[in-house]
Amino acid sequence: MKESPDMQRLKALLRSSALVAGGFMGSDPRSFIEVIDADLAELRRLGYTNDQLAQRMQQITKLAIPGLGSRARIDDSKEARVQEAKGSLVCPWPHQRYYAKRITTVRDVGSAERIRWSDLNTHLTGQHGFFGGKGSMFRVEPREVVRTIFHV
Amino acid sequence: MFLAIVIAVAVVSSIGAGLAAVLVVSEHFFANYGPCSITINNEREFTANGGKDLLSTLTTEKIFIPSACGGRGTCGLCKLKVLEGAGPLLPTEEPYLEQDERESNVRLACQVKVRNDLRIEIPQELLAVREYTCKCTDITNLTHDMKQFRLELVEPKSIDYIPGQYVQLLTPAYEKSSEEVYRAYSISSDPADKGVIELIIRLVPGGICTTYCFEYLKVGDEVKVNGPYGDFRLSDTYAPVVFIAGGSGMAPIKCMLHHMKNTGNTRKTVYYFGANEPWELCLVDLMRKFEKELPDFRFVPVVCELKDSAVQACEVGLVTEAVSRDLENAEECEAYLCGSPGMIDAAIAVLKELGTADDRIFYDKFE
Amino acid sequence: MNITSQMSHALVVFVSAIFTQNILLSYFLGLCPFIGVSREVKTSFGLGLAVIFVMTSTCLLNWVAYQVVLEPLGLHFFRFIMFIIIIAAFVQFVEMVIERYSPSLYQRLGIFLPLITVNCAILGASLFMVIRDYSFVATVGYGLGSGIGWFLAIMAMAGIRQRLTNERIPRGLQGPGITLIIAGLMALAFIGFTGVLQGN
Repeated sequence: MKESPDMQRLKALLRSSALVAGGFMGSDPRSFIEVIDADLAELRRLGYTNDQLAQRMQQITKLAIPGLGSRARIDDSKEARVQEAKGSLVCPWPHQRYYAKRITTVRDVGSAERIRWSDLNTHLTGQHGFFGGKGSMFRVEPREVVRTIFHV
Repeated sequence: MFLAIVIAVAVVSSIGAGLAAVLVVSEHFFANYGPCSITINNEREFTANGGKDLLSTLTTEKIFIPSACGGRGTCGLCKLKVLEGAGPLLPTEEPYLEQDERESNVRLACQVKVRNDLRIEIPQELLAVREYTCKCTDITNLTHDMKQFRLELVEPKSIDYIPGQYVQLLTPAYEKSSEEVYRAYSISSDPADKGVIELIIRLVPGGICTTYCFEYLKVGDEVKVNGPYGDFRLSDTYAPVVFIAGGSGMAPIKCMLHHMKNTGNTRKTVYYFGANEPWELCLVDLMRKFEKELPDFRFVPVVCELKDSAVQACEVGLVTEAVSRDLENAEECEAYLCGSPGMIDAAIAVLKELGTADDRIFYDKFE
Repeated sequence: MNITSQMSHALVVFVSAIFTQNILLSYFLGLCPFIGVSREVKTSFGLGLAVIFVMTSTCLLNWVAYQVVLEPLGLHFFRFIMFIIIIAAFVQFVEMVIERYSPSLYQRLGIFLPLITVNCAILGASLFMVIRDYSFVATVGYGLGSGIGWFLAIMAMAGIRQRLTNERIPRGLQGPGITLIIAGLMALAFIGFTGVLQGN
């Protein structure tokens, strides 16, 4: 099958570093569709949907924003901080969505384990089921994120 | 038989050649837009070869319109008025233009193609924008994730800017980024020294430009910036000043403080600077020096948690909490804010509660 | 044939090209963009319009080229090459003209024009009109009808696929798999039109 121009552009954009340093795919040799399939399958095994995940990520970011860059308590087991930088990040999918450069870092108080995501990650997770290629700077590992954000 | 082959080949070739000729002729006719003259503000006029977009045509003419996305039509910053010759509004521009902008012929320069003569309007201050080649002569660590970069101007040798303005730094293509990008950073240096600009940059994880500056840029390297841009500046009044900043929001405020000192400004000034931990505070010594040099200046560092109170004299809590506790004359003050959108929104809310009028709050939001 | 019977023949050809002999759903031509671009109604609409336009115009051009040049010289066997060259040249030409005179139309259609230059449905329509020995008027009806038929099919598909975006589709069937199944079902539905028309 020939690929539509949109599809080709998306593939190239995900590999290129035009939008984020190092690109969205990192060192992952798979196609992004395979990455999405594999991550969604893993998420299903863990018992969650990407929608639920994105909603919870959004919720934590919202709770942490009033901290103005300092750590805010989310619940008994974790704290989160939100850092913002100038400019916006563009979703590589062809629909012209922009997200503030806002990075949420969640820390599990008990295990001191940290994970982080940007507002763009939340969108990519919820809308496109895309968690980033292995080795990319902003890959959200489904297993880690589920463990950290859902378990009290 | 032989004749039939010759005829067949001749017919097909001649039809093919005929079509190719038609295409070549029409390409010459339709796709060649020829030299187009562009008139700016009814004053300046130049001629450029048509076919490219307006933004890059202007850039080749050394006129820099701020654009964060580099002409992809995704940032909506390169707005300017095209009075004549732009053609109909394109679907790619629609999302970025308000109704009143559409009525006054505002367009996105990166989407408008130069196909014929154009008449455009560019704000005067943008015409003062130039490209500067600089040499990086010093990199200072301010905190664990903030550095100050000193850039000495090579060509042209000096820059005039208003304290509070920013420049765009060109990040060349490097290992982690395949194309050139521009990113905006406020000037932090002493405006008296026109041969140098300093930028305070905070590392953004995964950021193309900040990663370059932190990991690849070395002392002695050549750097290109263009500017100055922006209308964040100190007013001419005598009202007391409140600065509120966080992180790299320090940069324009520092520049303004230098300027106040240079011009003998006597306005009552207080500066609230927020950080998470005491070791994330930067340039405290310089601020203490300003306290001595300026007639009426007070620096209030604010940290979220203070475990070891002996370290520094600071307020504890969020910067906005410190403002609402500490600021007494909020109604008469002019407030200048620089930091993350969250911090600015929260600071505006607090200031309003304290009685500062809307038109007295100025900010440089990270957007 | 007199004018009236020519017109009524053309009308029959037109309607049958849309429904009973839909070039996509009966002949399965032009499947690549049908599957690749039918994800959203908006883009499908643009592509569909481009197909209608290109199909009608190239059918006419090719009819003229065939009747005036190839047929008299006995060069029927060259029609494949000729048709492709003419279609490609025409699309290039149109693209250039649209870009120059109507930037907003170019934004909407321009990106699809190169995509359908090498589309088998476009060539197929030209070849069918030769094989079936259509008159000039019937060719107009056929080209337009086939284009509209293709447009209808991709719009229907895009509508269905947009509704499917939030459905849970078995993993192995996601994407092209489910699209082909839907296309098959749509083709079955279109068989229902058979017998509506007679005499084409």
